[in-house]
Amino acid sequence: MVYALFEDAIIYACSLSLMASGINLIYITTKTFNFSHASISTWGLYIIFSGVAIVGVNLYYFFPIAFLIGALLGLICYLGINGPLLKRQANYITLMISTLGYEFILLSGIQIYADFLTYTFKLYSRLINMRLYDFMIGDIRAATIAALTWTIATIIAFYILLYKTDLGIAIRAISENPSLTALCGVRPDKVYLTAWMIGGGLACSGGAIASLVVTGTPVMGWILLISMFAASILGGINSIFGGILGGIIIGLAEFLGSYSLSFLLGPWIIQYKPVISLIVMTITLMMFPIGLVGLKRPRLPKKVKGLTALSRSGEV
Amino acid sequence: MIPPALNLALSILAEFAIFLIVTLSLNLEVGRTGIAQFGRVLAVMVGAFTVGGLASRLLALMLGLPAGAEYTDPLYNSFIVDKINAILSENIGLGLGYFVLSLILALIFGALIGWLTSRPAIRLKEAYLGISLLAYGDLLMWITYNYQPIIGGTIGVGVPDPFRMIQAIGGPMGGFYRNITVVFVMLTISLLIYFLIEKLTRSPFGRTLIMHRDNEIAASAYGLDLIKTRTRSLVLGSAFAALAGALYVLYVGSCSPAAYSKLTWTFWPWAYMMLGGVGNNLGVLVGVGSFLTVRILLVQYRFELVTFLHLPFDPLWLEYTIIGVAIILIVLFRPFGLIPEKPVSTLQKDKINRILKSIEENKMKNDAN
Repeated sequence: MVYALFEDAIIYACSLSLMASGINLIYITTKTFNFSHASISTWGLYIIFSGVAIVGVNLYYFFPIAFLIGALLGLICYLGINGPLLKRQANYITLMISTLGYEFILLSGIQIYADFLTYTFKLYSRLINMRLYDFMIGDIRAATIAALTWTIATIIAFYILLYKTDLGIAIRAISENPSLTALCGVRPDKVYLTAWMIGGGLACSGGAIASLVVTGTPVMGWILLISMFAASILGGINSIFGGILGGIIIGLAEFLGSYSLSFLLGPWIIQYKPVISLIVMTITLMMFPIGLVGLKRPRLPKKVKGLTALSRSGEV
Repeated sequence: MIPPALNLALSILAEFAIFLIVTLSLNLEVGRTGIAQFGRVLAVMVGAFTVGGLASRLLALMLGLPAGAEYTDPLYNSFIVDKINAILSENIGLGLGYFVLSLILALIFGALIGWLTSRPAIRLKEAYLGISLLAYGDLLMWITYNYQPIIGGTIGVGVPDPFRMIQAIGGPMGGFYRNITVVFVMLTISLLIYFLIEKLTRSPFGRTLIMHRDNEIAASAYGLDLIKTRTRSLVLGSAFAALAGALYVLYVGSCSPAAYSKLTWTFWPWAYMMLGGVGNNLGVLVGVGSFLTVRILLVQYRFELVTFLHLPFDPLWLEYTIIGVAIILIVLFRPFGLIPEKPVSTLQKDKINRILKSIEENKMKNDAN
């Protein structure tokens, strides 16, 4: 029982950190707080559900497809809505609300698709338990292994992308100062496009992972949205790894925190699960108004440090 | 027999009145002050719960009925509310007193919750503030949804109807007369609030809000206390929103935490405001009126739409598509909404004209001299 709970907590934390890092990636590049993450993640659920229920093979084959479709949804959002607005230099409220409009379209798309599944394939598509399609590897749920692998792979990929490639340098530079970066010859639209595609893909695959522990409904993403936002601003919205950290904290707090509190205070506390994560977020934000990671300045590479030391001493 | 079209018109008018107040209060905070208020549902919820959980309890206490934890118990609640309603149907003074008390309490508690949310949130900026406000709304919903003694938990509570007297007099048509009265009262209140907010935006206070929105640095350079301005705006807006919540509960006659989703009470008003014109009260009025009518008609005639268009799905979902597409089109092609914001004139037009004329006359006199 306790063991299963740990597994659930880990899966949930992984999914939250994937989604939150996607939000942060989109935020640091385009300064857009993306509401459409909610329904992009619900699409992840419906992609793996329809894959398993219609085609009927191992559900983990559909994770890459979920990632690709999420990337496509992000791409559409960038090309159709966010790109033109960024060119016009719209303010942050307009950017947020435009993604809300896109979110409504995606939500209605999900509802229509759920009706379509019911009418055409006679599937019960409004209350999905993805646990039924999961299987065990030894004593461990396959979902735990998949979630951990996917998250660790994402962290490594992010590290390589951000610190070892030109594109990553461009992303980090744009998050610091977009106009100065553009002046240096980096094309911002390429960076924005990449951010939206990766962000969308992470949201979709994160939603697919989350559906393995929470009940799958067409509004799953809406219910998760607050936890996602809590995770992303708790960790510090200006850092991608902050999003991952925040996701782990919020995910574990929701599952393990409510469970351990139930020993102290009685079982009634379990139903306040979302409240706990929100309280954690509020308290953290009161102490660190810009999140946990946001405070720290990135360390300069050794070469640059040497140069500044030399320039200070007047040798250069 | 009451024609169904009349009932439909009444329900559209009722929702129009409620959402006009909510959207105007949102406009005061977002369009005028520049706060990313994503937690509008919180204040509406507080107003609704003040009536359902406090004002009606006070009434029960006054009438000698149980008003403690057993008031919200689903086993007893309907009996208690029925008894109160029976008394209210004979006593119009009590009903009126209850109505006024509910609204006043809602205003007070709305202002209080506005002040409370402004405390931790005010140190945060932009997106952080918006998301914190969004989270507070969910926080209250979850707590009241799970803790029964406040407002009946998952089931909710019934709310005594202050207009029960009219229903009792009207006989078989009583319910209809009662609805007409309530809708008339709500529309009157909402239009009053419209003129009040319009007046407020023309006052020196309204202009400091605009200054805060347009340029914070310049505003503080002119000696404006930014945090005080933000707090005042949040308190005022929350009080109005709470009033709307109270009116809604009194109109519907029941109050349940599950009814206060962030979609209905935060994001629909946002959509109406964006569509009508951010910062413009007339635009808000037009936006709420037009899009609410489309929404309700779509919900009402959706089965006819299915048979007419042979849709393979429930057209209820088209509601979301329409709003989503409308938001995106407005944001992309008419960024300032259907009726863009105009510069506010503090004096009336004829007064300005008179001043201009007198200046010209003086000039002519001077020239003649």
